[in-house]
Amino acid sequence: MERRPKEFDPAGGGWAPWLFLSPLLVFAALFFVLPLGFSVYLSFTRWNPLGTPDWVGLRQFEYLLTRDTTFWATILNTFVFAFGFVVAGVPLALGLAFVFSRARGKAVWRSVYYLPQLTNIVAIAYLWQFVLDDRYGLVNRLLGMAGLRGPDWLTDPVMAMISVVMVMVWYDAGKNMLVFSAALEAVDQEIYDAATLDGAGATRTLWSVTLPMIRPAFIFVTITSFITGMGFFALILAMTGGGPRGATEVTALYTYRMAFEDLRMGRASAGALILFVIIGVISLLQFRALKERAT
Amino acid sequence: MTASDPLVAGERAEVAAEARVVAPRGMGRRAGGVLKYVALALGALVMILPFADMFVGALRGPADVYASPPRYFPAEPQWGVYARVFAELPMRTWFANSVIVTGLITAAQVATSVTAGYALAKYDFAGRASIFRLVVGAQMFPFFLFIIPIFFILRFAPLMGGNDIAGQGGSGLLGTYAALCLPFVVTWYGVFLMRQFFIGIPDDLMEAARLDGASEYRIFRSIMLPLVKPAIATLTLFSFVYHWNEFIWTMTVTRSAPELQTLPVGIYLLQGAFENLEQKSLQQAALAISILPVIVVFLALQRLFVSSDFASGVK
Repeated sequence: MERRPKEFDPAGGGWAPWLFLSPLLVFAALFFVLPLGFSVYLSFTRWNPLGTPDWVGLRQFEYLLTRDTTFWATILNTFVFAFGFVVAGVPLALGLAFVFSRARGKAVWRSVYYLPQLTNIVAIAYLWQFVLDDRYGLVNRLLGMAGLRGPDWLTDPVMAMISVVMVMVWYDAGKNMLVFSAALEAVDQEIYDAATLDGAGATRTLWSVTLPMIRPAFIFVTITSFITGMGFFALILAMTGGGPRGATEVTALYTYRMAFEDLRMGRASAGALILFVIIGVISLLQFRALKERAT
Repeated sequence: MTASDPLVAGERAEVAAEARVVAPRGMGRRAGGVLKYVALALGALVMILPFADMFVGALRGPADVYASPPRYFPAEPQWGVYARVFAELPMRTWFANSVIVTGLITAAQVATSVTAGYALAKYDFAGRASIFRLVVGAQMFPFFLFIIPIFFILRFAPLMGGNDIAGQGGSGLLGTYAALCLPFVVTWYGVFLMRQFFIGIPDDLMEAARLDGASEYRIFRSIMLPLVKPAIATLTLFSFVYHWNEFIWTMTVTRSAPELQTLPVGIYLLQGAFENLEQKSLQQAALAISILPVIVVFLALQRLFVSSDFASGVK
């Protein structure tokens, strides 16, 4: 029995690629396209899930953007959280990657710094609740031993925001560090050799060789961290519940509660879409700005 | 350690610098080297202390909690707390659910990523570019956008869980394992990762097998799949860690279905039971148990984990 190679377009494989792709295509239809469309539709309605959605046009957007002061407060909190996370977290991860790349026992150090990434977010939140407890937490006990009165880490509105940003930085440092490490390791040794031959010192080499070479990683980490920070609410939900008095309530958490506690599906969908658009626009601007500086 | 290792580069530069410069600067460098390790160790302490605090806290008994002032280190470590966790909390159910859900999702993600990644890398067909754009673009959509719509897509799934053909009347897929797993059956990142790996494999192998009359499935299964084992291992670990720890979605769909809750969700939703000062140690012990499996897996396989493979999405 003789079998011949496929008659048409050998690399096409006929129906084979479509069969391999079928799970992805079904998933994309049911759990990507359909939900996005449904979400947009819901944002134009008023819907308590027991009845049928009432079409209300743009009224949900109008309410959130012009009358709901809480919504704007949560947007502000979201920005503070995301920017705090990026501004403190990205340089820290880069610094760690640098130090690691020149230290002995890399694997051990890295595992230690990666530990929080392996831990579920509920445990992270509670671990820090214990550590930051106003009276009997580890931090304030230590400060007390030094004769200092520690701040109310989680019950003071300003400190609470600082605390959740700190914990987020702590939680995520290991991940971004690995991305930077990989980028640093990919820089060709010959470039360093050439720089040394040209008489460049360590500082000069860092600014003129290493940093430009890892710029793609830097852009990637900055933008993904920002996107993560803008949409991440699990930590805040479990750690402060958005409190005290709404001081750490971010928009993603606010819309989540609007949906599953207040059962306002239409308004919550509109809020989520507004947040999504804000994230998209700013990511694009960041991408442009960081790209341009490269040229 | 390879020639391109920055560690080697750093040492070489240091040796060269020390040979050239006068003593004081050389000493400064050495002090800098020590400082580096001091900083690393302090940082490591900050990473580990909260975990240590949890393990110590779990061992505190009522005597320590109600002492005045409360004792940090327990006078008598209450090791029995780990038995109490299983006796007093639905720990077995949570644990079993975590294992089942994580296992199902990980298996599904690996299967769908491998097949889709292979098709996108190794076949040339109309629509390939668009599908790849979808895979890359979909990663940009944050998860919070999908929570509400997917919840109701599952709720109104036709003919499921007592629903009629229009999706009314019953509870749909809510309250089933399907609700926990289906939204995660495909991971865009995983598809992307596998595609990148398959692209690196030469086409010659495939063409040779085709000339020998091997079927498309056979080529995939017997020739291509074994070549991407390292990538499969990486993806398996990622999926495992991510979904063992997944919280928001699982909580959303199991809030009213305690028999389906996983470890993080169960511990979170039972927070009322831990309000009592004495019960704090129980909570800390439960948290320790929720973390442990991941750490064990990680330590066993960390060589894979810290490899640069999974940063390949950056390049």
